[in-house]
Amino acid sequence: MELEGALPMDDKAKRMRDLLSSFYTPDQSIPGSPPHNAVSRFATLDTINTTSFDADQYMNLLVQKSSLEGLLQKHVEMSAEIKNLDTDLQMLVYENYNKFISATDTIKKMKNNIVGMETNMEQLLEKITSVQSRSDGVNTSLFEKREHIEKLHRTRNLLRKVQFIYDLPTRLQKCIKSEAYADAVKFYTGATPIFKAYGDSSFLDCKRASEEAVSVIIKNLQGLVFSDSESIQARAEAVMLLKKLDFPVENLKVKLFEKLKQFLVDLDLEYKELTNVPVNVDESINQNSASTTTHEASVHEFAEAIRAYKAIFLHSEPQLCNLGQDLVKKHFEAIHQQIMKHVRSADLLAMLRIIWTDVLLMDEVLPEASLPDFALQHARVAIKDYTCSTFSRLLMNISDTLKKYQFTVKEEMGVEYPLRAALEASKKSVIQGSMDALMDFRLLLDENPELLLKLRDLTIGWVHEGFQDFFRKLDGYFLLLSGKKNTAFQDVNLIEETQGEKISAGLVLVLAQLTLYIEQTAIPRIREELASLSAGGGVRGLATDPAEICRIFRSSGESFLHLYIKMRTQKISVLLKKRFAAPNWVKHKEPREVHMFVDLLRQELDEIRSEVKQILPEGLTHKHRRNNSNGSTTSSRSNPLRDDRLLTRSNTQKARSQLLESHLAKLFKQKMEIFTKVEHTQESVVTTIVKLSLKSFQEFVRLQTFNRSGFQQIQLDIHFLRTTLKDITEDEAAVDFLLDEVIVSSAERCLDANPLEPPVMDRLVQAKLAKTSEQGGDEKSK
Amino acid sequence: MQGGSTGIGYGLKYQARCISDVKADTDHTSFLTGTLSLKEENEVHLLRLSDGGTELICEGLFSHPNEIWDLASCPFDQRIFSTVFCSGETYGAAVWQIPELYGQLSSPQLESIASLDGHTSKLRCVLWWPTGRHDKLVSIDEHNLFLWSLDTSKKTAQVQSQESAGMRHYLTGGAWDPHDFQMVSLTCDSSVQLWDLRTMKKTDSIDRAHVRNVDYDMKKRYMLVTAEDDSGIHIWDLRKLKSPVADLPGHSHWTWTVKCNPTYEDLILSAGTDSAVNLWLASPSIHDHSVQDSSLTSQNRTEPLLNSYNDYEDSVYGLAWSSREPWIFASLSYDGRVVVESIKHHLTR
Repeated sequence: MELEGALPMDDKAKRMRDLLSSFYTPDQSIPGSPPHNAVSRFATLDTINTTSFDADQYMNLLVQKSSLEGLLQKHVEMSAEIKNLDTDLQMLVYENYNKFISATDTIKKMKNNIVGMETNMEQLLEKITSVQSRSDGVNTSLFEKREHIEKLHRTRNLLRKVQFIYDLPTRLQKCIKSEAYADAVKFYTGATPIFKAYGDSSFLDCKRASEEAVSVIIKNLQGLVFSDSESIQARAEAVMLLKKLDFPVENLKVKLFEKLKQFLVDLDLEYKELTNVPVNVDESINQNSASTTTHEASVHEFAEAIRAYKAIFLHSEPQLCNLGQDLVKKHFEAIHQQIMKHVRSADLLAMLRIIWTDVLLMDEVLPEASLPDFALQHARVAIKDYTCSTFSRLLMNISDTLKKYQFTVKEEMGVEYPLRAALEASKKSVIQGSMDALMDFRLLLDENPELLLKLRDLTIGWVHEGFQDFFRKLDGYFLLLSGKKNTAFQDVNLIEETQGEKISAGLVLVLAQLTLYIEQTAIPRIREELASLSAGGGVRGLATDPAEICRIFRSSGESFLHLYIKMRTQKISVLLKKRFAAPNWVKHKEPREVHMFVDLLRQELDEIRSEVKQILPEGLTHKHRRNNSNGSTTSSRSNPLRDDRLLTRSNTQKARSQLLESHLAKLFKQKMEIFTKVEHTQESVVTTIVKLSLKSFQEFVRLQTFNRSGFQQIQLDIHFLRTTLKDITEDEAAVDFLLDEVIVSSAERCLDANPLEPPVMDRLVQAKLAKTSEQGGDEKSK
Repeated sequence: MQGGSTGIGYGLKYQARCISDVKADTDHTSFLTGTLSLKEENEVHLLRLSDGGTELICEGLFSHPNEIWDLASCPFDQRIFSTVFCSGETYGAAVWQIPELYGQLSSPQLESIASLDGHTSKLRCVLWWPTGRHDKLVSIDEHNLFLWSLDTSKKTAQVQSQESAGMRHYLTGGAWDPHDFQMVSLTCDSSVQLWDLRTMKKTDSIDRAHVRNVDYDMKKRYMLVTAEDDSGIHIWDLRKLKSPVADLPGHSHWTWTVKCNPTYEDLILSAGTDSAVNLWLASPSIHDHSVQDSSLTSQNRTEPLLNSYNDYEDSVYGLAWSSREPWIFASLSYDGRVVVESIKHHLTR
């Protein structure tokens, strides 16, 4: 029951609340409040001012949350608020009541005003109808007269036109006389519609006459267009007029364009003549400058023509651009040809300069073509071409030099020091060629026509790259020349030329020294020059990696030196092989003299020495080293040991003890470093070859079995070699050691090792020496 | 790494040139070597690597009538081997058998199974049929090639066919192709000759002077490795004989012998007269020559030389891989010193 009672109460309260809230909150548009359940669930004390306020719940909440004191306080607060609300409510009622009263007043006033309106409106309608009827009357009365006037007017116009047409031929003639073509064209075009309509009947004569006149006009106009002397404006106007006369202007355009093209072709011929001339700049300077001026004049003319054309024919720029670009292209084609013919940089420069002036001239006339950019692009290509061709020419030069000597080395041994000459020449061709190339580039950069100024950085880069590439290729070429097959060398020409020819050992030596020279002298010098080149511009760092290139050259220099040594030792090996293959060592006869193969060996060594002497520098440490090795313990100890060994061997003849002894000897000796690093000096190379040959000697000996005489023969030969090799070689200790080794080895391989007595050996050696010196003397006397 | 004192040494009494792996011995890693002494009694040593791999034990010591220039172990019977011997003007080749119970005898004598007589010039080497039990043998002298059929039980050897290589060619050695049993390559003065044993005719040749030694790659068919006096080591493809597929620098003096590893591809061992043994890895990248700048790529290539063993007193002539433990090789220098080395730590790379 309570619930039922509560419900109406609630309704009432709610209405009141709505009213109040409509009064207090200006915005009524939030009635869509969340459902009650949700509100009750999330109720707080703040909900008191919302539409969905639930008093019971609020009370519960209040009781739950507040203390007694709080509640009391709240009570006081609330009762105060309720009082306030009551007074507000009263105020509200009063205000609304006032509004209502004023509204009724307004309605009453409106009713009164509306009463007189209708009569007024009726009066207005009446007046308007009367105005309309009067105007109709006026209109009808005037209609006839107006029509008549209009007719008269038309006739008059027609008459005037007819008059005009009859007058047209004479008028045109007059115009032709006074060259007022513009008027003439205007008249004629005005008359054409009539001619078209009635030309075949009434105005036949007239039409014919005027057409004749017009054809004269057209002719005159064409003449005007083609005449260069007339002002551009007049020509442009003439073209406009021709266009109006339905004359096919395109033909004209094409014709004129052809003319321009022809001009270009002529111009180019002239240009070719020009570029063919300056092979020798000093002599042809006058000629050159003369032709330059004529060239300039003609280009100027061309530019003017283009300017005219452009003015005359609108929208012709693309064509003209093409034309201008053609001009530039032709220029650069000519340059390309010149580059192919190995033009000098001064000439290239001159050509570029001419091009640049041309381009500037053209650019003035035809900015749309952006010829400078276009020219720049082409210049880039041209300069790149130029650098490439310069370097390839350099390479060719060097290879030519080398090749020349490759043949002369074989054929003309009469020349004293052919190898040295080859080395010097190739050195010179490398350094001089590079320097010349650099000079050329420097000139190119220093002279600096505007065109090149923009390309400066690029050019320097290319020069750097070019050098790098050049040296790489050079190295590849050297390797190829020396017969190392696994180089993927690009230049087909060089490959073809070098194939099938075996390089001489001497040339390998030349290459070895040449690479050393390039590594140690040429590259640093070129690097310096390059540095100064790029320093002038103060732009980007060195693109080259000289260390890398130096490394390449160093390694190939070493490999060439090794190759030389290899080739030489191979030759000696063959010599030794023959020596050991020929006799039957087990049945060898008693030695009577030093075997003649020693002479061959010496000959070979002499040849090597002469080659080496020509090419390689003397070792600075030569003396020093010899002293050193003399003073060292190895050799001083090895010498007495050797003698002892020979003695004991002759006494005991026991192979076992020999072996043991040689082992012991080796123990006491330092391990002899036979295969040391080769240096680029005469002594080092010769010593290495001698050492390798002696080692081969030993190995050959080990493969044989000797009788006593055979052993003695070897002993004798070695004894002889000992005296002769001493003078040649640097590392005496090692050579001595190897000579000993040969004797020991042959003793080991001997069935009956009984050495020759030293006096006998000395005598035989002396005899041999005397004989050879005699022979030498004979040869010299001859 | 240099110097390689890791090796296990064994000293022969006299100088020696040849060493051979005993292939048929599957229980032990053993090697046979023979001495080269003109005046003393020559010996054949049977060496066995102890189980721990720390010691070389002499299992047997047999006297041999002449100095031994070549020695090859039979691939199917560990007690059989062949020697080529020579002293002064006499030369010959024989197949020997190590006597049973040789450990108990005081001075065991080798039993001669067969004597390969009939050669008219200096014998160079004897080759066994590469693998398996087979009765074929090839012997090479300076001018001729003999194909023998050997009966080990009857102890006889008969010439099956023989052919002269021509008097102008001085044969120096050879190798039997492990992939094609009909093919044998012979080295001579000016070339490497490839022979077909069925027709006994030369089928092809590599024109190359001063070839000392030749060996087939056990793993890769058509791959042949040659050692040359002065120009190092070359690897050939038998299908393209114009130029070698790869070069290795070789030794400071002559490269005397090359041996391909029986198990690991591209692993090559070479010995030279510069008293060194070099271990090479001919990596496949070297086979590819299409690269542009050789000097540049040589940098990028891995260095082919894996190790150089140069702790020898004299020239190294003998070299043998163990087929049982393929990471072990034996080397023999002229002063009679056998050194066995393991390359195990190089394999991990």
